[in-house]
Amino acid sequence: MSGVAGDGTLAPSDFRVAAVAFAERWKSAVSALPPWSWIPRPKHPWLSNEVDGYLALENACLLGSSEENRVGCCGGSEEPNCSGDDEPVDDATLVQSSRDDVHYYDFHIIYDSSYRVPVLYFRAYCGDGRTLLLNEFEGDLPADSSEALVKSKWTFITQEEHPYLNRPWYKLHPCGTSECIKLLFQSDASIRTTSGAAELYLLSWFSVVGRMVGLGIPYEMMKYENNT
Amino acid sequence: MASDSPNSDRKIVVHLRATGDAPILKQAKFKISGAEKFAKVIDFLCRQLHRETLFVYVNSAFSPNPDELVNDLYENFGFDGKLVVNYACSMAWG
Repeated sequence: MSGVAGDGTLAPSDFRVAAVAFAERWKSAVSALPPWSWIPRPKHPWLSNEVDGYLALENACLLGSSEENRVGCCGGSEEPNCSGDDEPVDDATLVQSSRDDVHYYDFHIIYDSSYRVPVLYFRAYCGDGRTLLLNEFEGDLPADSSEALVKSKWTFITQEEHPYLNRPWYKLHPCGTSECIKLLFQSDASIRTTSGAAELYLLSWFSVVGRMVGLGIPYEMMKYENNT
Repeated sequence: MASDSPNSDRKIVVHLRATGDAPILKQAKFKISGAEKFAKVIDFLCRQLHRETLFVYVNSAFSPNPDELVNDLYENFGFDGKLVVNYACSMAWG
């Protein structure tokens, strides 16, 4: 079964399609952040509902002392030199930020076979590579999202072993994802049945989940041709 | 679609639509300047419903950044002369 199920889940066979479409649109719409890459992983023949990889966006930097807490771009792991095309960078702000203030983030979008939805895993670390604990980078999260995370029934932050990397990462728990997607997709009944439904899934999902960690979806990313 | 045109001063009709188990507003339609940020719509909703957080999204299965301009959202997701904004309760424990 392809497309988006009426229960708000995503079929494993559609995850790769959705991921590739998401990554391409991100690249053309988001210039201030690194692109997403598909990381292939071998499947285990004895597991069902598996997918053969996940999406990764790494070395995104947050200027810890910035008032806006906007995520900037840091292609490599060296200098926190963020050059977004979208808005002029305030050099004074950058100079005042000491290296300790700069937090780096790795984001992985990984398919969860039991919930049948994507899950956002993330890891924060500082300039010297030391992994940060939640209470150390909580301040980076948008103020309203921290509150929403505490009170939301859609998701909450939990720490778990990364499914592939065998290290503790944080993730946004998927228990509310399908409900959330159901509501989102109900807003346009024709969406689920179009051939672009799988592609739309990750975009819709990320517009909610990504914002919890300071990443959003600019509206330009949502523009697509409706193959009705 | 020029963003410098006088259109940026226009008022956009926003239609608030309750979904899930969210309470329905007595007045569900109002006008807002296109130059305002979407955050203003979210704040308005939260205040009207006495909630601190809400799940807010537009048609086309998309939850916009609060920083987006209402004008831009209307241009891209509006139809029939209005922008439909759906909302659901995101709080379960409060």
